[in-house]
This record gives sequence, structure tokens and C-alpha cells, in this order.
Amino acid sequence: MWGIVLIALAVLAVRRVWLGYPATGAEFAVLAPREEAFLQAAAEALFPPHERLPLSGGQADLPGYADRYLAVLPRRQRTLIRALFALFEHATLLWPGKGRGGFKRFSALLPEQRLGVLRDWQSSSLALRRLCLTALKAILILGYVGHSESLAALELAPWKIESPRVEADFLYPPIGGRRDQISRAGKPLGGAPTAPPLMPGLDQEAP
Amino acid sequence: MSSEASEDGEVRVFSDYTRDFEEDADVVVVGSGPSGSVVAYELAKAGHKVVLIEEGPPFTPQEFRADGNISMARTMREGGLRSTTGTFMPILQAICLGGGSLINSAMCVRPPAFIFDEWSTRYELDHTTRADLDPHYDAVSEFLGIAPTPEDVQGPRNLLFRQGCDALGIASEPVDRNVRGCRGSGECFSGCRARAKQSMDISYIPEAMKFGARVLTSLQVQGVLGEGRRVGGVEGRVVEPFSGRTSHAFRVRARWVVLAAGCMATPVLLQKSGNLANTSGQVGRNLQFHPGSAVAGVFPESIDPIFGGTQSYQSLAFLEEGFKLETMWSAPAALAVRMPGVGTELVQRFGELPRTAIWDAIASTHRSLGTVKARFRSLNPVIRWTLHPEDIKVMLRSIHVLAQIFFAAGAEKVLPGVGGLADEMHSLEEAEVLRDYAIRSGDLVTASSHVFCTTRMHGDPAQGVVDEEGRCHGYDNLYIADTGIFPRCPSVNPMLTVMALAHRQAQSLVERV
Ligand SMILES: Cc1cc2nc3c(=O)[nH]c(=O)nc-3n(C[C@H](O)[C@H](O)[C@H](O)COP(=O)(O)OP(=O)(O)OC[C@H]3O[C@@H](n4cnc5c(N)ncnc54)[C@H](O)[C@@H]3O)c2cc1C
Repeated sequence: MWGIVLIALAVLAVRRVWLGYPATGAEFAVLAPREEAFLQAAAEALFPPHERLPLSGGQADLPGYADRYLAVLPRRQRTLIRALFALFEHATLLWPGKGRGGFKRFSALLPEQRLGVLRDWQSSSLALRRLCLTALKAILILGYVGHSESLAALELAPWKIESPRVEADFLYPPIGGRRDQISRAGKPLGGAPTAPPLMPGLDQEAP
Repeated sequence: MSSEASEDGEVRVFSDYTRDFEEDADVVVVGSGPSGSVVAYELAKAGHKVVLIEEGPPFTPQEFRADGNISMARTMREGGLRSTTGTFMPILQAICLGGGSLINSAMCVRPPAFIFDEWSTRYELDHTTRADLDPHYDAVSEFLGIAPTPEDVQGPRNLLFRQGCDALGIASEPVDRNVRGCRGSGECFSGCRARAKQSMDISYIPEAMKFGARVLTSLQVQGVLGEGRRVGGVEGRVVEPFSGRTSHAFRVRARWVVLAAGCMATPVLLQKSGNLANTSGQVGRNLQFHPGSAVAGVFPESIDPIFGGTQSYQSLAFLEEGFKLETMWSAPAALAVRMPGVGTELVQRFGELPRTAIWDAIASTHRSLGTVKARFRSLNPVIRWTLHPEDIKVMLRSIHVLAQIFFAAGAEKVLPGVGGLADEMHSLEEAEVLRDYAIRSGDLVTASSHVFCTTRMHGDPAQGVVDEEGRCHGYDNLYIADTGIFPRCPSVNPMLTVMALAHRQAQSLVERV
């Protein structure tokens, strides 16, 4: 009898955690489809369309952004962040959304239920829950507000700066590269230092 | 091990290491942050054979990233996600050539004399007064061109702070910084693309190389070779940038060893080397921080928040109360993280970013202590630390003062960032709640990039790890130079002080070597 119950629970757990996530065709270095679905759902809930910003969270490719971020993190930290995503996706079992189907995983909730769930995390009396929301928001806000289109709309794009070459730039190759890859172009800055003028613009790499 | 020694004045990077190797030197310096770089330069200039070892890679402007998450993941330990246990607090520490100087805001502050008077009396340090250190501060300041931030690169974000302080009669001043020709791009935290900041990788280190210092990057020192009262060098492995994967072994034999790996790494290295230099039992103990609290203020008009020196105005008026106030630059997206709310409410607030400034306070939390312990099979430490209830009150007071300065400067609202209180306060009266709020540590969002005391300096060998010159008690030739040697947190930004102490240490080493 107990065996059957345990097997049934295991089947339900597998279904909840792994199955039923649509394949979107997006290719990621780290993210699994379940994480992509969660991030997309969280982005839509956190950043709905608004006249002030051209992109909504749903349009800003935040799963892609999170994937690039995870890819450069050390393994332990990457695991922790992925655990954070999983926590939000399944904590609806403990803190469900309002109304019918509130126990479904986060990405399967209705849009207003998702917003309600995030509001609950925000106003929770448990400091740890609030902290988790801050961590999730931090990752997604950096991707969303840091998106070149958002920054341009806010007129807060990074400066356009042509870095002058200093003596040290003739010593260090690109990271991972060889010393014969050091560009010899230009002269090192000599004499009185002059940083380049600041120009409004956006010449750093796209996120 | 075969010998594939580097040449004098050479820098080595990850791709240069193709097999195990050994080197010899007069002095090996572990860690290329502000302390290690000064020691390496001064000793090389004096004609000694110096090897400077750094775990991180050198960064050039093409390697800097504007995105906060990705920049931190590339330049900081544990991907920028290192934190304390006990009281949770994120702590930021660099892993790159130049250490913290590559990604810090270049603030160079000399602590006032009373700080050193406390050091002297409490920790039996007879030669560490402000007057003793002033010549060393002067030498470093001259080398790096340290000067007050000029008016034309302050920008409204910094000048509004001055305006608010003036209105309240609080003394404030432009910050001295190690920059040359800064135009106020405010990008110190992700690496100065303008090449104005005189971080170690473009200042002390290339100069040390001109005097023959060999700079070996992407090497992780894993142990100090000890023989009784003397040490004989260091050993470790080549480490791949970012992935942290280790490969070839190396050993550097040296007559003198200077550990400058930072306040978190140096005690771990000693612990992993058979609990070296720990007869006092103080290695890894007494850990202190300057926890920071940031307050945001929204002004009626745009304040062009991305223009202006990163942290260019400050007030030392409250140092004796236990905190220091500073302005702060933040990438717009990182600033947005401060915004409360979710959904439309949150996105609406993003529209306020061009009108938002952020200022912060760093607290001298002398009562809040912690420990650093080596983890099994890792050099990343377990960091335990607890914020003392009395120190939490000091931090809350600093938040209240910042709110007052914001209103005095004309802010229409302030976001104090204190859990359990209103997200936004619209008047001085509303902010009064900060005065006696019964705050708990979980209500504060805090972080720290200033770490101290894990190998503290003490005149009594039973109570400290190093003497006033940074030499480990009981050892002839083992020195520590990083901020771990501070006996107590210095209450102001530590870079200049750790460099001044390193300069003094180097001078005494020059005589001995
Ligand atoms: C974001 C940020 C902003 C800051 N702003 C300011 C400021 O404006 N003004 C100020 O005064 N201070 C500031 N600080 C603090 C200041 O940068 C540090 O106090 C200072 O860098 C400490 O110097 P250090 O030499 O003791 O150690 P670090 O700068 O930490 O250097 C230690 C070096 O040792 C290397 N290392 C560690 N372990 C090993 C190993 N096993 N093998 C080889 N190498 C190793 C590390 O990679 C690192 O490069 C800031 C810090 C940060 C992170």
C-alpha cells in the first residue's frame, strides 16, 4: 500500500518538475526548458507593458540574459541561482496563488495569480522570503533595465568612450589569449594624462 | 618539476603555462591588490628579485562589461555572490590583476588621528600613529597623483549631497581619488574604460616590471612552504580564468614571503599550510567589515545620474558616532534593483531613474565580529559574522541622516530600503519613524566591500598575528600586507591606508632583504 503511494507521489513529482514544458526552440548554454518557462513567466509578471519603456519583460529575452549570466558563474553559484528559480516555480505548493489552480507551478498560473504570488513574497513576514525575491528581482531587473532599448528610452545609456591605450595595454593579451595577440596599434598615452571626452551613446556590447 | 622560469620584467598569463614549473626569487608576493603591488614595486625598485603572483587575469578595456551581473561574475570571487553566514551580507572581493583597485571607486581617505590613537592604545602599537604613517601616505599619494575631485567632474548627483549637507550645517568635502584626467564617466565599478583610474594594473605593477619584477597571473597559491621559524616560498597550481579549473603545478622558492592575498584568502592560506603563524590562535578571527547601507532619493528634475565621479563627495562628520557618508554611482539597472514593488508599480518607478540619486553610509561596526575558516578542498572560506544589535542602531541612524540630507537637498521622496517600513517617505516628518524604529538585522539590506582584521597586527604576540611592520610573530621571513592586518576597522575607505602600511613594510623589508 505505502509502496503504491510512494510511487504515485514520485510520478506526480516528476510530472510537476520535469514534464509538460513546451520546447520553444531557443538554444541555451545552461538553461533547461523548465527554467526558461519560469523566467519568461516571471519577466512578464514583473515588467508588464508600460508607456515609459518600449519593451515589456516578455519581449526583453530575459531567459537569454539569465543564460548568459549563468554561463559565466562558477558552478556552485550557478547551482544556487538555478535552485532559486526552482524554488519560485514550485513554492506555490506552500504559498499558492489566489483562486482556482493556485497550486500549479508558477509558470502555469494565470498572469494575475503570478503577480499576486510575487506580491506575497514581497510582503512576507519572513525576511528570507523577501530576500529571495530581492535576489530574483536583481537578476531580472539588471537584464531588463540594462537592455539597450530600455536604457535608450530612459536616456541613461552608457557613455561612448574610446579607451586610450596606456602602457599596460601593450603588456596584457586578451583574457585566455596569447601575448602575440596584443594589438600593437596606437601609441601608449604619454605625458599629461587625458581621458577621452564623454559622448552620449551606447558602444558597449549588447547584453 | 621542470624549470620554465619567467624572465625579469615579464608578465605571464594563462596561455603561457604549458607544464609544471619552478622559480626562484628574493621575495615572492602573493596577491596583486593595492598592498601587494606597493610591496612588489618598492622591493623591485630597491633592486631585489621579486615575483608577484596573482590568481586572476589582467583585464583591459575590451574585457570590461557594462552589465552589473556579468561584470561582477567576471571580476569578483564566487561570481560576485560571496556572502557571510550568521547575518547574511553579500561581500565583494576582486579576482583580477590589481585586486580591488580595478573595480573600486578610487576613494583615497586618510583616517583621522583619533582612529590611530585607538589602534595604538588597544593593540599595543607604538609606531602606528597618523604622524608615523603620514610620510607613507604622502609617498603613495604622490605616486598615484591622488587629489581632490575637481568641481567639473562632480555632476549633480555629488553636488546635491554637498548642498544638502550645507543646508544642515554638516561638514562635507570632495573625495581624494587616485585618478588622472577623470571626466566623470562614473564607471569605476566595472573597470575604467577611460583609463583615468590609476588601478594597480596600470600604475604600480607596470612600474615594478620596469625594475625587473616578474608578474605571474592565473596562478593560485595553495600553500606556503614552511620550515620552522622560516618559510621557503609558496606552491600552487595554474588556474584558468573564470572557470577556476586548475592544472599545472608550480613552486616559487624565495627568501622572503609576503602574503597580500586579501583579508579572506590570507588566513585560509595559513590554515591550509599547517596552521602557520597561528601560535596566538588569532588567524581567521576578529573579522570586521564596514557594512554599507544605501538610501535613494528622487528629485523633481532629472539629475543626470550617470554623469559624475563614482563616489566623489563625502562627509566625515559622523565618524565618532560610527559612520561615514558618501555619494554613490550606480549603473541605472543596478539602481533600479533598489526600486520596491512588482508589476506596473515597479515599471512606473523605473521612469524615475533619471531623477534618482543614491548615497550610502559605511558603518564602523566594531562590535560585530566574525571568523574566516578554510573549507574542505577549496580556498573559498566559510565566513561567519553576526551584526551586533548596537551596530544595527548605528546603521539605522546613518540611514536617517541620509534621508535628512536628501530632503535638505530638495528630494521629493526618499527610499530608505528598511524592511518593515514604508517603501517611500515623502517628508522629514515621515522619515522621523527612522529615529526610534525597533530594527532587526533582517530589515537592513546591506553589503560590504571592506574587510579587516583576520590576521591582525598586535604588539603582543599572544594576541595578534603580525607586528607593526607586518612580520608574522615568531617568523623571520613571513610577512602579511593586506587589510587583514588592520587591528580594527579604520572607519574610512581602506585602500590608501593599506597601501601606506605596505609602503612602510616594504621599506623595512628593503633593509632586511
Ligand atoms: C566594489 C569595491 C569598491 C571599493 N571601493 C573602495 C574605495 O573607493 N576606496 C577604498 O579605499 N577602498 C575601496 N574598496 C576596498 C579596497 O579595494 C580594498 O580594501 C583593497 O583592494 C584591499 O587591498 P588588498 O591588497 O588588501 O586586497 P585585494 O585588493 O583583495 O587583493 C588581493 C589579491 O590577491 C589575490 N589572491 C587571493 N588569493 C590568492 C591566491 N591563493 N593566490 C594568488 N592570488 C590570490 C586576489 O585575486 C586579489 O587580486 C572597494 C572594494 C570593492 C570590492
